[in-house]
Amino acid sequence: MDTTGAGALVKALEDVGCEVIFGMPGGAILPAYDPLLDSVKIRHVLVRHEQGAGHAAQGYAQATGRVGVCMATSGPGATNLVTPLADAYMDSVPVVAVTGQVARSVIGTDAFQEADIRSITLPITKHSFQVTDPADIPAVIAEAFALAASGRPGPVLVDLPKDVQAAPVTYTPAPPADRRRPAVSPVQVRKAAQLIATARRPVFYVGGGVIRSGAARALFQLATRTGIPVVTTLMARGAFPDSHPQHLGMPGMHGTVPAVAALQRSDLLIALGTRFDDRVTGSLPHFAPDAAVVHADIDPAEISKNRRADVPIVGDCRDVIAALNAVVTATADLTSWWEYLNGLRTSFPLGYDWPADGALAPQHVIERLSTIAGPEAIYTSGVGQHQMWAAQYVKYERPASFINSGGLGTMGFAVPAAMGAQVGAPDRVVWAIDGDGCFQMTNQELTTCAIEGIPIKVAIINNGNLGMVRQWQNLFYGGRYSHTRLNTHNRLPDFVKLADAMGCAGLRCSDRSEVDAVITEAMAVRDRPVVVDFVVGQDAQVWPMVAAGTGNDEIMAARGIRPLFDEEDE
Amino acid sequence: MTTHSLSMSLRNEQGGLARVVVLFSSRGVGVERLSLRPAGPGGLFLLDVEVALPPGRSPAQLVEQLRRLVDVREVRHTDEELELGA
Ligand SMILES: Cc1cc2nc3c(=O)[nH]c(=O)nc-3n(C[C@H](O)[C@H](O)[C@H](O)COP(=O)(O)OP(=O)(O)OC[C@H]3O[C@@H](n4cnc5c(N)ncnc54)[C@H](O)[C@@H]3O)c2cc1C
Ligand SMILES: Cc1ncc(C[n+]2csc(CCOP(=O)(O)OP(=O)(O)O)c2C)c(N)n1
Repeated sequence: MDTTGAGALVKALEDVGCEVIFGMPGGAILPAYDPLLDSVKIRHVLVRHEQGAGHAAQGYAQATGRVGVCMATSGPGATNLVTPLADAYMDSVPVVAVTGQVARSVIGTDAFQEADIRSITLPITKHSFQVTDPADIPAVIAEAFALAASGRPGPVLVDLPKDVQAAPVTYTPAPPADRRRPAVSPVQVRKAAQLIATARRPVFYVGGGVIRSGAARALFQLATRTGIPVVTTLMARGAFPDSHPQHLGMPGMHGTVPAVAALQRSDLLIALGTRFDDRVTGSLPHFAPDAAVVHADIDPAEISKNRRADVPIVGDCRDVIAALNAVVTATADLTSWWEYLNGLRTSFPLGYDWPADGALAPQHVIERLSTIAGPEAIYTSGVGQHQMWAAQYVKYERPASFINSGGLGTMGFAVPAAMGAQVGAPDRVVWAIDGDGCFQMTNQELTTCAIEGIPIKVAIINNGNLGMVRQWQNLFYGGRYSHTRLNTHNRLPDFVKLADAMGCAGLRCSDRSEVDAVITEAMAVRDRPVVVDFVVGQDAQVWPMVAAGTGNDEIMAARGIRPLFDEEDE
Repeated sequence: MTTHSLSMSLRNEQGGLARVVVLFSSRGVGVERLSLRPAGPGGLFLLDVEVALPPGRSPAQLVEQLRRLVDVREVRHTDEELELGA
């Protein structure tokens, strides 16, 4: 087929199964946009800011398990993609970014809108290509997709000089990608099974890798057969059903007391697709001091990075868990372990106080949202207190139902990620649980949603402040609230009017008695996006909490309450 | 700081060397000596490098991080005795 580089790009994207691109055109990517107009296989969603395109590609990728695609022009278009690429790198999200570049002949001359995006993104991509020969385009696109999706998923950048897009070329389809997965060592699996058979206080420490690998079903089988307790990290919420009695919830800085205790008091951590992040381990020398560690991860560089593994297993979680399922037979008697954990579960359940001034409790809003929208919905969140409450108070029953920014902690993630998720899962209800700070970073994509018929729902947990930062100022800076007040309680901006101005339904709720009715009303809006301004108290705090840098044993269930702290250790 | 010698086979058409060097700087690894030379057909280069690792970092992990790079075809840690001592 005779075409141009641009035609080859669109054809190659179609051939690898790309069905949607989130992007914005501009000078250096204009040639590619021309054949895109004629593609019947690829939908293009015109965003209002390229950061929105990147997060939408992430939301799409996580909701569907496929590769998300975003597109931007050279220079500022490309640099606007830097935050989502860094985010996708941290959270192992398969994304391909296609950027325009100035013509080959002027690269390196500070040409108009030239930015060396390949160099800028070196440390935040799995790989980046700059195509210099139009004939290479099909192979590069195929390789970019394969790289993004295989092994440890992540972002890949393809930079296309404008003249390469314009050059005539004959389209030659790329050979199909190699989809083999690394073989799992049976020796290591047997060693792990032996430890599992004899451990008295084992725990499954489940991470985002289980969701990426599609291993939730296999995990369910392994966990229920062995009766071993399960904890799920922020990135793994939904990998194991919250309703299951073996699930102790999320570990870490804002984890539940029983989940944190299960790691701390364990004699065997069975870590599956997780990276021993500092938000989970707390101070490393004090983390799970008595535990042997089985660590299964597809990325050998993660194993023994923060905590030495006694039994390292390199492999895809699907394969590792299947192999474990085949050999794990018996476990030791876990009765006293469960007695201990269940005791903590009864004594320190997740809970909150209602604000004394009669303001709405943010946790209540999220709890009701979870009940009314249910586990079949997809939830996204921004970063801050509302994110932690979304992790604690929404009941997740299925993988990929919670999409958030864990590793980079990117404010502004919720709305564009919800947009991408809704495009990928048009039949699901998608709720963005957002903060009043985060929302103001990327809400412009609601206009995109209104125009494109992407009916997401946004719950702004409006506490009038940069709440998470304010909480730290309250706890660690003597209540000196330096520059965290947003004035959103003074309706600056007025979120209902803002929603209306962007073609969305706008609702407000500030009273406990109205919460259910407002959520139900929002659920009934199907023809356009809806934004609910939940005006909540400004002093609610996220508990439990392990203060940064301290050991997990110092977890506070609430202010001043330290359930695991042994006075003799003092 | 501990010093280690690494030797790798590298594809260097598309800024492969830059990727390796950026990995060192983002991971807090010092470069004390570096030499690059063409090696055989297929546009492959041989990169010998002496690196200084911050305390608590293992050379084995750095090797795994280098192996993640698409342009790095092979990495060897050439001072085994230092690896055992680390
Ligand atoms: C304000 C804030 C507070 C936070 N508080 C907490 C907290 O209290 N608790 C908490 O848990 N987190 C918390 N986080 C998130 C935290 O920063 C990390 O993002 C998170 O803990 C990492 O999750 P993970 O270990 O599951 O790894 P992920 O980042 O999900 O990494 C996945 C791992 O799985 C591997 N992998 C990928 N695919 C596969 C596969 N197919 N097979 C096998 N392995 C695979 C990868 O190599 C990687 O090692 C917080 C974040 C923010 C912003
Ligand atoms: C882009 C970006 N800038 C700054 C921060 C630091 N930060 C973390 S949480 C937070 C406050 C978020 O406020 P809001 O969206 O209102 O959520 P809340 O904590 O009140 O629920 C800030 C500023 C960040 N994570 N990301």
